[in-house]
Amino acid sequence: MNRRWLIGLIAAALVVLLANTFFIVDQRRQAVVVNLGEPVRVINPPGAYDPGLKVKIPFVESVVTLDKRNQAIEARQEEVISADQQRLVVDAFVRYRIADPLEFYRTLRNETIARDRLEPLINSSLRQVLGAATAGDIISRQRSELMAKTLDDVRVRAAAARLGIDVVDLRIKRADLPAANAEAVYQRMRSNLQQKAAQIRAQGEASKREIVANADKEVTITLAKANEQAFALRGAGDAQAASLYAASYGKDPSFAAFYRSMRAYEDSLAHSDATLVLSPDSDFFKYFKYGPKAK
Amino acid sequence: MPWNDNANPGPWGSPPGSNDDRPDDPPRAEQRRRPPPPSPPPSGPDFGEYLRRLRVEWDRLRRGRRLRRLNGSVLALGVVGAVAAIWALTGFYIVQPYQEAIVTRFGAYDRTELSGLHYRLPTPIEQAEVVDVTNEQKTIVGGAPGAEAPDESLMLTGDENIVDLSFAVQWHISDPAAYLFQVRDPDDAVKAVAESAMREVVGRNDLTSILTNGRGQVQSQMQSLMQRILDRYHTGVTVDAVQIQNANPPAEVVPAYQDIARAGQDAQSAINDANTYANKNVNEAVGTAAKITQAAAGYQEQVVHEANGEASRFNQIYAQYRRAPAVTRERLYIQTMQDVLTHAHTVVIDAKGATAPIILPPQAFQPTAPPPATAAPPPPAPQPQGPSL
Repeated sequence: MNRRWLIGLIAAALVVLLANTFFIVDQRRQAVVVNLGEPVRVINPPGAYDPGLKVKIPFVESVVTLDKRNQAIEARQEEVISADQQRLVVDAFVRYRIADPLEFYRTLRNETIARDRLEPLINSSLRQVLGAATAGDIISRQRSELMAKTLDDVRVRAAAARLGIDVVDLRIKRADLPAANAEAVYQRMRSNLQQKAAQIRAQGEASKREIVANADKEVTITLAKANEQAFALRGAGDAQAASLYAASYGKDPSFAAFYRSMRAYEDSLAHSDATLVLSPDSDFFKYFKYGPKAK
Repeated sequence: MPWNDNANPGPWGSPPGSNDDRPDDPPRAEQRRRPPPPSPPPSGPDFGEYLRRLRVEWDRLRRGRRLRRLNGSVLALGVVGAVAAIWALTGFYIVQPYQEAIVTRFGAYDRTELSGLHYRLPTPIEQAEVVDVTNEQKTIVGGAPGAEAPDESLMLTGDENIVDLSFAVQWHISDPAAYLFQVRDPDDAVKAVAESAMREVVGRNDLTSILTNGRGQVQSQMQSLMQRILDRYHTGVTVDAVQIQNANPPAEVVPAYQDIARAGQDAQSAINDANTYANKNVNEAVGTAAKITQAAAGYQEQVVHEANGEASRFNQIYAQYRRAPAVTRERLYIQTMQDVLTHAHTVVIDAKGATAPIILPPQAFQPTAPPPATAAPPPPAPQPQGPSL
């Protein structure tokens, strides 16, 4: 009865002892072995590949595991005033690894504290680097350079603070205008667009006038060309007629003149309402005046 | 039985991504462990009752026949064996065709298994993490229609305008080991990197080009930038496509944009009006020109033909004239004068010897109907002078 209890007790003690001796270090994690409060060694540190089942001195040593992977810290959204006095809302994240677990453990203990320490550090780096740049550079022209610069600054600060971390990257997620300033941008966009619309309309009007003027020109030219041709045709006709008349009347110019005059009198006077005042001396009244003996 | 969840994840291994990622994700693990506490209810009295009954049963067994000792150890062995068997059976797990499983032994990478039924040593020794490999994953930034996220979707462009943009990133896990072991929160990393990269790329481009023909360029720049960053983090993720789903000017500016469209239409209609005018007038002018030239051509013909006719008429009369010039001349003259005087008013005045201006009655100049023309002789008022000749 007693012996049975004893065996049970020993077995239980053995289990506890084993559980306190062996521990598993996952590939994703690194373990700091702490000997009575003093961190003494690291298992599966960065740069080395040593995960698996590990042994420690039971009860005397304890194990703290830390993440070995690349992890993120989102910086709090921060209002930054750029060198040209523009306010920008900046949102950034940092990716880091725990590079020196012993140092990390000594300074920060765990990741929650690390987060609390890193966040203000990142924010003040952002303020410092972005505060020296213009808004245009932050938004577009030099974004990647500024990110690199901020990254360097964060690295320097982290190293100075002996945080035991390796800052892998810093990226600005958002760098936008605060809501109040956004309204100004909208206003500018609107006025730009109105300008453009007015310009488009004016261009339309200009094209219209040009087309109309062109058409008018075209009309004038067409008519002028037609007249040119018409005058030439008429001239040719007149010339031809003149040559015909000349050929014909040239046979006896005096008779031609007489004959033509007679025709003209007939045409012009015979069909008009003209009143003729004649003297009886005219040839026509020769007999009228002198009688049959007239000569 | 909450403890059972932990120790004994069931014969088919643990469902992917539920229990197995606990060690690397403390906050989530905490969350998941939180629910159990309410489950051990105030079962104190029940448990005591149970113990008491167990004690009674045990005593009855001991007081039983001599088989009791044998019985006890067989029972113990059986129990241990059964537990061990169940424990061993928890090592089976299934990998679907679109998945791969990464097996770790004591936390260290051991092997990769493809689809099918597999066995791993039970939990504390080996673990299997099943990862979707061929499945396309989709990360949406900037919200979907109906679920807008202006914080994510509004961003500044290179010309310091604001664009409202949402996009989807399609990616898949190309290196499951890296995906599991290198980055703590690969899915969140993809989204954060997508947001950051998009803002960087949009910041390098002008609003107009983003809204119009620069879309493809933005997408491809974005894809390569994202891939570069994710590779730098060793996420084991390959970005397959970046698709801009919506790129609009912000709502506040939309009316102005619509006015631009209207302005374009106005301009077009002005041009159309002008073209209509031009077509009409130019064509009319062409018609008028044709009329003018045709009229001239007609005139030419007319004049020539008339000249021919006149010439021929003259020639003929001339031929007769030559035979009797004097008679013909006289006759022509008299005939013409007759014609003329028959039709016109005629006033014959012998002004010779007149001392004062002769004043004719105005009626003499009045155009009268042809019949009274012959009655015109009434003003032979001067005629009386005639006989005086």
